[in-house]
Amino acid sequence: MDVLQFALRKLLAGVPLLVGVTLLSFTLMVYFGPDKTYELLGKNSTAAQIAEVRHELGYDRPFFVRYAEYLRELATLDFGHSDSTGAKVSTLLARSIPVSLALELPGFVLGNLLGLALALTAAFHRGRWPDKLIMGVAVVGMSVSFLIVIFAFQIWFCTSHGLNWFPVRGWSAAGPLDYLAHIAVPTLATVFVALGYNTRFYRAVIVEEMGRDHVRTARAFGTPPLRLLWRNILKNCAIPIVTRVMFTIPSIVIGGALLIETAFGIPGVGRVTYEAIISGDQPVLKAVVGLTASLFVLTLLVTDILYRAVDPRVSLQ
Amino acid sequence: MTAGMARNGDGVAVPATRRTSLWQTALAKFARDRAGLVGLTVVALYLLVAIGVWFGWWATEWADITGAKWAPVSAQHWFGTNIIGQDIFQRGLYSTATAFEVGLVVAVLVVVLGGLLGATSGFLAGSWVDEIVLWTMGVVDAVPFYLMVAAIAFALADYPYAMHVAMISTFWTTTGRFVRGEVIKLRGLEFVEAARALGVGQAAIVLRHVLPNTLHILLVQMTLCFVDAIKAEVVLSFLGLGVKDGMSWGLMISESTLEFLAGHFNNLVAASLLMFGLVYAFNMFADALQDALDPKRVA
Repeated sequence: MDVLQFALRKLLAGVPLLVGVTLLSFTLMVYFGPDKTYELLGKNSTAAQIAEVRHELGYDRPFFVRYAEYLRELATLDFGHSDSTGAKVSTLLARSIPVSLALELPGFVLGNLLGLALALTAAFHRGRWPDKLIMGVAVVGMSVSFLIVIFAFQIWFCTSHGLNWFPVRGWSAAGPLDYLAHIAVPTLATVFVALGYNTRFYRAVIVEEMGRDHVRTARAFGTPPLRLLWRNILKNCAIPIVTRVMFTIPSIVIGGALLIETAFGIPGVGRVTYEAIISGDQPVLKAVVGLTASLFVLTLLVTDILYRAVDPRVSLQ
Repeated sequence: MTAGMARNGDGVAVPATRRTSLWQTALAKFARDRAGLVGLTVVALYLLVAIGVWFGWWATEWADITGAKWAPVSAQHWFGTNIIGQDIFQRGLYSTATAFEVGLVVAVLVVVLGGLLGATSGFLAGSWVDEIVLWTMGVVDAVPFYLMVAAIAFALADYPYAMHVAMISTFWTTTGRFVRGEVIKLRGLEFVEAARALGVGQAAIVLRHVLPNTLHILLVQMTLCFVDAIKAEVVLSFLGLGVKDGMSWGLMISESTLEFLAGHFNNLVAASLLMFGLVYAFNMFADALQDALDPKRVA
């Protein structure tokens, strides 16, 4: 009951934020967004014709009426039709979101698990060569642009200039082998870039936790290392780790991997978004921006509630 | 009388002595950090290249066609030429200036904006001003970076600084949150209380007594922001949302996508290495700076 009340209170507190993100995406994408009037008109159109088209498009209605219309679209997931392809935006998203998920989940999970493993190794050898090596490589990883990693891996693994092991473009999940062949290089690139940041972040969290008094006490009492690691260190690191993992989820689900999908020609949300950015396809963009931001706010709330589940120190008040 | 009290107020702000000692220890610590010094030296070299470009000492022919299409590396074309015969070395040098321009403009304005808003909301923590600043930060952070940039690029139509505006309006929240946290700690300290007791106005307390004590945070955030801006520029230019006129490493990499499938890598390699060198050096410098300025940071 307490938890339910807490959850409801949190949800209520999220309303202003939800209003904020929808207002921001509306103002930028719709109100100041691309103007379609002249695309729909012929040459030498009269003022009356212009006014008529503007009326049809709803441009002459007041700000808040149009904002309310945008909210309705978000709530019903009905954003109309894409300007460039004519397909329904909701269909477009329903088709591309599963592709993005299938593409990104392996890299996301691997990047976090490997990062955690490397961070633990570095933290336990703090100040000695394994730590210095891991952290040195992490800074190198952080200094390379994602775009360059993608191109380099693509040339190396997918073209005749390198190993030529995997398909350079396209998407197919017909069979498990097919699927693996298509996600292999994108996943490698994702993990490579995420690893530097993840390792540094997790190491900082773990090192801080390892220095606490209760860890020293537990060690002095002879707690076996694995038990010490699990009970006294990792569990206490849960909050920053959960936060980091949770906050990446919205951009994975809807934002998609813009660069990866574009470079590898994979028909996920990222590519749909990229094409919408390039062609100024407003119905698609307002859907993606609005949905991602709203999902982010919801994630924020769920994370807050999750804190309570993983950490009894967080009070319900 | 009031003037005398203000002078007293400054005198009472004892942390002045502690502040110098913090900077002195930081300097001594930084001077011992070999990786940090190497990083700083490399950054200085890059800056020299950029200054040369600004003054027109070199890389003046970056836009001219000076050779054959895809000419190999030679004494005349140190990194070869690109798809239409422009000198890649000169373009790489010219882009260094663009990188510094983007990095500096964004980093400085982010720190100013984040510092002022963060300090204001921290100093007035719990008030409606604080609520509004926190709400704004939450809203800005909720929109994914690339979508935000695309949105701002649309809203600003063809404004050449749309990219800068987009980066500044998204990056400031991190600095803002750090400064807010620090100011909440500072505002309870005796020197702030003393200044208030002496009748120093709120704005003066924030600007003259509180903000200078967050300088170490601002400095570190500035270096981190510089790196982020350079890296973001590459991606945004590739997406067609970045540098509008001129040349940048992002545009070079974007250009190289037409070349590398045909087996010409000079453009990609040159832009990548030049950019990696600066970002890596800056990262090492930023790390050393953080170690030096934060006594509590665990290295």
